[in-house]
Amino acid sequence: MADERHSHSRQGDGGGEDRAVVAYASHEVRLSGRQWLAAGALILGALALLPVLWKRVEPFRPGEDYRIPYALTNDYWFFRRYSRSAAGQGKTLVVGDSVIWGQYVNKDQTLPHCLDRVSGRTEFTNMGADGMHPAALDGLIRYYGRPISDGKVVLHCNPLWMSSERHDLQIKKEFRFNHPRLVPQFFPPIPCYRESCSGRLAVVMERTVPFLAWAGHLRVAYFDQMDIPAWTLEHPYANPIAAVAAGLPSPAEDHAGEPASWRERGIREQDLPWVDLETSFQWRSFRRLVGTLRARGNRVFVLVGPFNEHLLEEPSLQRYHELKEGIARGLDDLGVPHYVPDALPSEYCADASHPLAEGYELLAKQLAECDSFVRFLGEDGGG
Amino acid sequence: MLFHTWTFVLFFIIVYGAYLPLRHTRLKVPWLLVASYVFYGWWNPLYLLLIATATVVNYFAVVLMDRTHWRRLWLAVGIGSSLSLLGFFKYGGFVADNLNALFGGLGLACKASVPNVILPVGISFFTFQAMSYTIDYYRGNVEKEPSLIRFATFVALFPQLVAGPIERAKNLLPQLRAPSRITRQDITDGLSLFIVGLFKKVALADYLALYVDRIYDSPGQFSGPALMLATFAFGWQIYFDFSGYTDMARGVARMMGYRLMLNFNNPYAATGLGDFWQRWHISLSTWFKDYVYIPLGGNRRGKFSTYRNMFLTMVISGLWHGAAWTFVIWGALHALGRFLTRELEGTSFYRRHVPKIAKQLLVFAFVTFAWIFFRASSLSDAGLIVSRIFTGAWTDPRFPLVALLLIGAVWAYQFLCESRARQVLKLAPVRVGVVVLMALYLALCAPSGAEAFIYFQF
Repeated sequence: MADERHSHSRQGDGGGEDRAVVAYASHEVRLSGRQWLAAGALILGALALLPVLWKRVEPFRPGEDYRIPYALTNDYWFFRRYSRSAAGQGKTLVVGDSVIWGQYVNKDQTLPHCLDRVSGRTEFTNMGADGMHPAALDGLIRYYGRPISDGKVVLHCNPLWMSSERHDLQIKKEFRFNHPRLVPQFFPPIPCYRESCSGRLAVVMERTVPFLAWAGHLRVAYFDQMDIPAWTLEHPYANPIAAVAAGLPSPAEDHAGEPASWRERGIREQDLPWVDLETSFQWRSFRRLVGTLRARGNRVFVLVGPFNEHLLEEPSLQRYHELKEGIARGLDDLGVPHYVPDALPSEYCADASHPLAEGYELLAKQLAECDSFVRFLGEDGGG
Repeated sequence: MLFHTWTFVLFFIIVYGAYLPLRHTRLKVPWLLVASYVFYGWWNPLYLLLIATATVVNYFAVVLMDRTHWRRLWLAVGIGSSLSLLGFFKYGGFVADNLNALFGGLGLACKASVPNVILPVGISFFTFQAMSYTIDYYRGNVEKEPSLIRFATFVALFPQLVAGPIERAKNLLPQLRAPSRITRQDITDGLSLFIVGLFKKVALADYLALYVDRIYDSPGQFSGPALMLATFAFGWQIYFDFSGYTDMARGVARMMGYRLMLNFNNPYAATGLGDFWQRWHISLSTWFKDYVYIPLGGNRRGKFSTYRNMFLTMVISGLWHGAAWTFVIWGALHALGRFLTRELEGTSFYRRHVPKIAKQLLVFAFVTFAWIFFRASSLSDAGLIVSRIFTGAWTDPRFPLVALLLIGAVWAYQFLCESRARQVLKLAPVRVGVVVLMALYLALCAPSGAEAFIYFQF
């Protein structure tokens, strides 16, 4: 520093004279207007084409009883691709959280599979994803579920997400909840969601620009949910291109949870507080989701619960019944066909909301005998 | 607000969108000031009090210099107030800690209270910028700025507010006064600078930070090779981080028609320490030269006083970077390196027979070694790292090969820039290709979170 002997001819950028002295100062890569136009066209072309071409390169053939691999739960680009594939086959899509996915059962014991069995046809597609609470499901369908427009949708409403202010995302204290990239980023505000303004805008961009969602797909599917630089830190000598060549995770790699009833797991009876339906954020989100689907021409049937009522202490059970009736009334008001099953036998419940295989079997039979469901399946139009 | 975030993109779209029609009106400068204060207040609105204080005090110091005979007094007020701000917020804790250690060592019962304040972002930059105006006016190098709004905009102009370049009033104030003219080339050059800076920051600096932070956060858990590679990586990280910020700052300013000074010029291609400091953080180097080194006597009074002045300047420069003894040692090391290379450059053998590449590698190795003291959390950590690098056993450093490839590519590019082969970089397909690749890499591989710039803490 500070040597008077040297001239300062490099310093100033004033008047553009430094360009003559230092042609390519400090890694400059200067483009003219035309070159920028060419670069912009190439960049935009690549951004538009790469995700499309990728679908041709990446093998994806969902077979019978396919469900989204657990590792891809947060891969919304993949959800869009899967929903396009399912909608293309004209099937009835069963959409919801891990109750639909089948947390404690194998893929041939889930509700969609049981519905296929009792109906004697391969009609139902499992579109469940773990942790997909109504606010997230609303975002998933709104931003990534357009391919399922006009199809039949069995929508699962899990009352668990309204069992407390925390589940309902109403508490003010920040906590990590499932699928924050799917919830509304600005309005309505979610008090426990404290992402920075930049983080929220990045989410909005990811929803808007398919390339960014595709980049997210690569991260989730091939790089252990990490960005590529972070992944190379964990695998310093691995070739990232080889990681991509390994192929998509398969649902066959997912292992169902221990198929034991809630009592065998040692879960105790609980006094769940439940939220007021009038002020529930999750219920509002669910209604919004129904509205979105119907606006897109989907025919919607809602399955409410079942919830493990055996697990509830008496005052809580009373509040739950009121909530359940409120949901049914709300759906009636919307004119949405629905079914609110009675509680399953206690031994068929794995926890508060997940049935075991026998529970799904029973539920499918109950649904198959439900008039509104049968009418819904037989409908060709309306909503 | 960080340049490489969507918030900044949105902010800039709004600011630029309004700036274009306003730039020919009297609202141009006030609009820039509002935008700059929003930009700075985004971190913490209370910080605005500091920048407003530095602005008002220096502005009125010059007004009073102009109107009264006590020029020295008002100069002292201007400098003193700026240094007081810096001293309290940046060095208060350091001084108190050292006093307490001294009192403890002497067995005295007194205890200096440690100020519990958070270091405001970029305080060293805007105080130096404001102060330089006062000194330059005192020396007769600039005219008095009649408008407080314009002066406030000069101090706070958002592209360079938090990490420089530390602009001089002589360069920036005339640009703020003049009618704004934005050419097509301003926009294309600005965009070019911005994307290069963005790539350096997001793709390179933040990537290397993953490795560096892991190692330097707990150096005791790693062996010599990992520590050596982390130090090597940090040398590149800080360069990409800071020069990336500067490129983006210059790019944003350029798109608005303002030309900020060059702050980096391939510093790791330097052939001597003097050369290095003419290429690294040029705006700070020249600031210290003009306001510290020359007032101390510069090189006018013989070798001893020249080296003494260099040493003092470098140590002060070290302290400017951070309030810790590690920064003092870093500055002192650079002073030592400067003496050595200056003496070597004085010999005809070194000048004529030592190949340029050897000189460059020597300087790079020295600068990289000195970064240990810059980056280490404490003196004991720095000592541990140095001892393990030179005496530690070999274990697998687990340094990502991809990062090594990226550094290699940039290094090769840098040497190419300084060689005759640089003509190839002027070919349009090469430049367009480089920009496209950088943009795609950023879109595909950018980390999900936005890391702050290293120099914000100074």
